[in-house]
Amino acid sequence: MARSTGIRRRNAPGDCGTLPTYPSSWWSLPLRPFIRHRVALAVGILATGLWLGEALLQGQRVDVDVRIAQPAGAQPVRTRADATLQHPVGPWEFYFTRAIYSGNGRGRRWGSRWATDYPKADLQFISILQRVTRLGVYESENAIRLDDPNLRRFPFLYALEVGSMAMSEKEVAGLRSYLDAGGFLLVDDFWGTWEWQNFEMEIRRVLPEYPIVDVPVDHPVFHTVYEINEVLQVPAVNNAVYGGRTWERDGYVPETRAIFDEDGRMMVMINWNTDLGDAWEWADNPYYPLKFSTYAFQMGVNYIVYAMTH
Amino acid sequence: MFDRLFELLFKYRPLVFDQGDFVFASPWSYLLLIAVLGAGAAATLTTYAQARGKSTPLDRGVLAALRIAALAVVVFCLFRPVLVLSSIVPQQNFLGVLIDDSRSMEIADRDDEPRRAFVDASFGTEESVLRSALAERFALRFFRFSSATERLTDLGELGYAGSRTDLGQALDRARDELTGVPLSGLVVISDGADNSESVLTESLRGLGADGVPVYTVGLGREAFDRDIQLSRVETPRSVLQGTSMVVDVVIGQVGYAGDSITLQIEDEGRIVSTEAVTLPANGEPATARVRFTATEPGPRIFRFSVPPQPDEMVTQNNVRDVLVVVEDRREKILYFEGEPRFEVKFIRRAVADDENLQVVVLQRTADNKYLRLDVDDADDLLGGFPKTREELFQYRGLILGSVEANYFTPDQLRMIADFVNQRGGGFLMLGGRSAFAEGGYAGTPIADILPVVMGEPTLVDGKPMFTELMVSPTRAGETHAAMQVADTEEESGERWKNLPAVSSLNPISEIKPGATTLLTGTGAGGSDERIVLAFQRYGAGKTLALPIQDSWMWQMHADIEPDDLTHELFWRRLLRWLVDGVPDQVVASVRRDRVEPNEPVELLTEVVDGAYLEMNNSRVNAEVTSPSGGFTEVELDWTTERDGEHEGLFTPREEGLYEIRVEATSEDELIGSDMAYVFAAASDDEFFDSAMRAPLLRRIADETGGQSYTVDTVASLPEDIAYTGAGVTVVEELELWDMPALLFLLLALVGGEWGYRRVRGLA
Repeated sequence: MARSTGIRRRNAPGDCGTLPTYPSSWWSLPLRPFIRHRVALAVGILATGLWLGEALLQGQRVDVDVRIAQPAGAQPVRTRADATLQHPVGPWEFYFTRAIYSGNGRGRRWGSRWATDYPKADLQFISILQRVTRLGVYESENAIRLDDPNLRRFPFLYALEVGSMAMSEKEVAGLRSYLDAGGFLLVDDFWGTWEWQNFEMEIRRVLPEYPIVDVPVDHPVFHTVYEINEVLQVPAVNNAVYGGRTWERDGYVPETRAIFDEDGRMMVMINWNTDLGDAWEWADNPYYPLKFSTYAFQMGVNYIVYAMTH
Repeated sequence: MFDRLFELLFKYRPLVFDQGDFVFASPWSYLLLIAVLGAGAAATLTTYAQARGKSTPLDRGVLAALRIAALAVVVFCLFRPVLVLSSIVPQQNFLGVLIDDSRSMEIADRDDEPRRAFVDASFGTEESVLRSALAERFALRFFRFSSATERLTDLGELGYAGSRTDLGQALDRARDELTGVPLSGLVVISDGADNSESVLTESLRGLGADGVPVYTVGLGREAFDRDIQLSRVETPRSVLQGTSMVVDVVIGQVGYAGDSITLQIEDEGRIVSTEAVTLPANGEPATARVRFTATEPGPRIFRFSVPPQPDEMVTQNNVRDVLVVVEDRREKILYFEGEPRFEVKFIRRAVADDENLQVVVLQRTADNKYLRLDVDDADDLLGGFPKTREELFQYRGLILGSVEANYFTPDQLRMIADFVNQRGGGFLMLGGRSAFAEGGYAGTPIADILPVVMGEPTLVDGKPMFTELMVSPTRAGETHAAMQVADTEEESGERWKNLPAVSSLNPISEIKPGATTLLTGTGAGGSDERIVLAFQRYGAGKTLALPIQDSWMWQMHADIEPDDLTHELFWRRLLRWLVDGVPDQVVASVRRDRVEPNEPVELLTEVVDGAYLEMNNSRVNAEVTSPSGGFTEVELDWTTERDGEHEGLFTPREEGLYEIRVEATSEDELIGSDMAYVFAAASDDEFFDSAMRAPLLRRIADETGGQSYTVDTVASLPEDIAYTGAGVTVVEELELWDMPALLFLLLALVGGEWGYRRVRGLA
């Protein structure tokens, strides 16, 4: 494509704003919560040891199990080149699409955890979307690998438990292409410093030139449909149902952060130290606090409408 | 040649016979002459009847006939045939001589002499042959004409510098000047290359009614041997800054068939585009399509030119200057989307960097819940879609997404139709599950304005029919400026072929009469062609139908590079076109944007109120700023011919660009303002279509009872006017008995009789 049209090329390195950025080196991370909570520190060291041992035994990275990745409702889609088994194509405007990514270790707990809460959280959220918005939404779950060329057919993407994310080079390239073209990634359900560090390291591989910035509560993303004036920490189901603590690991304060391109377009919205997905999944549990599930649905709707209009 | 031969035989030219009445003027009685002829014939017959010898009855018959015929010729002459006709009384009549004073008189297309050479030779001095011949019979009054007409007292005042030829105005002015005097006619000496906008018919009708014949003398050649001219350059009067313009240039040519020439476009000295053009067969014009971008704001003079070619007779017509006003303003477009759709995101993103487009989004998120984006004011669109005309008509374009028809009240639907028809806005309906027939628009006022035919909704299992379409431009689309998604037409065509499929829920395959299809789409099987983009003019505005729901696939499909600009180009050009030419409440214009200094400029302004109803009672003033900074105020008055139209005049005295700011007020409240521009300078218009236009000159002569002449035939002009002109005349009899033709006839008859006898050996 010739460049003589006078339109500025996107994604040129540049300054994205004056909001505070976060260090990419973990040495500069605040360690006081660890020192104050020695038990947590000990548990952390133990977990790290276990993980290292397992990693040494099992290898550095395990790709996601493709059989798990097979999404429900998959249909053949016709392309001009060939016909392959791909994701649903039909009259729907919106597909709630979950990212399938590779992770460290093996197994659901320590390996790739893209399928956490899947598909119940997705389906329950979809039913809410149908009810409260005019969105033409596909009724089933939809999951897709980051290195799938058809990823870009779905300009909204949801990824969670990214604390153990370990993308392959193909996945990094796929996600970069997706975000450059105009895709929107919503990140959710990862907790504490260690998981932040892992996610940050991974997303830096994708978008090395763009800083991660805080998104204050007066940002339009919190006001597209519902007025959100306070960022809540949505706890995992066990903590919520039993009325205990809402935090996990050292993730005491919920944070909303984002990555913008040089034009100010939000490419990645990050929900750290909170778990919207669990609230969607367990909203039908009479013991799950309505406050959290309502908030999670409202945030989800706001994110989607924002992603579809900005 | 024919006239000369005729005159030789019949003594007078055919024109005299045309004008005169044939009568016999013999002083003797007709009966006596007939009796003489009868007696002669009887004597002849008797003589031949009694003749004897070796002659046969046939011989006698032939000889008798020849003799009687000779006798008849003599008797005919004795009848004294004459032509009775009116001829002017010398020196009792006036004759207006109108001399073309325009620049085309400098063209040297006849024996390497300029056309004005004829004027110098025939009228330069009082002794000049034609002038003296006319002056013997008439009192001469000279005029010079180009864009204006003036009396001439001295032919040395002719400068041949006029940049326009206005024959109608010249005839009217001369007729007015000579009103009240006995006028024999008007002589027009010109190449006939009228390039004014005035209509000749009225002028000719007036002259015909007054009985003033016009004699035309055509100068120059009717066709050049070798010439190239830029016959037509079609550009809009104003464009948005940054708009990529596609301009058709018609190149007329003779003598350069098959040659390749370079067409060049300059924006005030800076070359913005060049195009190589191969010329077609001799005499056939070539059409070149050039594209360039208007990058600099303000009134811009774009120069289109072809270099002079070898042996070209007229080179001044190789250049055309065009004034285009490049507007640097934001055009407001309202995009109402009935449900969250990715089209909103990607259209906004496509035009985000376009400083001349403001897409205001009204996004319905839930019933009676709206998200408003890029509004000017916090209260704008607070209650949803505009409910008054004033609120809606502030936008210049309107896009309707997937929103069902019954969302709108009947008045809102009519208002949308009025937005196009009356306000002159651009309207675009996008495809979607609640658009077109599937949205219930059939039978609504919006169905009337759309360029496509909607039938019943097409549903499969109660849902709209989903079809993926490969899109391709029609022939009209390939050349349309808004459909160019690459730098050249060829690249753009290739790009369209390689774009991924988009989907549609609105199967539309028929357009209305007068509409144009720019894009079509075909399904997977290659059949089932659908309309993807169609448009039509409707009332004062235009409407577009784009029944696809995910043009964002041209940005997000895996086959498209992330930094590909096709989607951006498509939407920017489409939306710029959507609002192109949409009027404001006050629209100022000039009848001609290029005039000569001292040529009056007609300034027109149309004024409407907030609901776009014409206003006749507003106060309209223009502030005219001259090139040197001088300032003139002009008041414009309602024309009374058209509602809302106001008119005023001013005359530029300097060369250069005049800026005109027009402001309309009503009861001291500003309705609006607009700018117009006039470039005052001598132009080369005279060199375009500058071959002698004989048919026009003939028409002028024929419709007024005059004659048309060329340089070769003009010698008979004085005598012709003497017999055909109006004014003070006297009846004159012209004798015909001594016509050489009669003598030749008599000799032939007598000689024939003699010869017959010799041949037959008779006595």
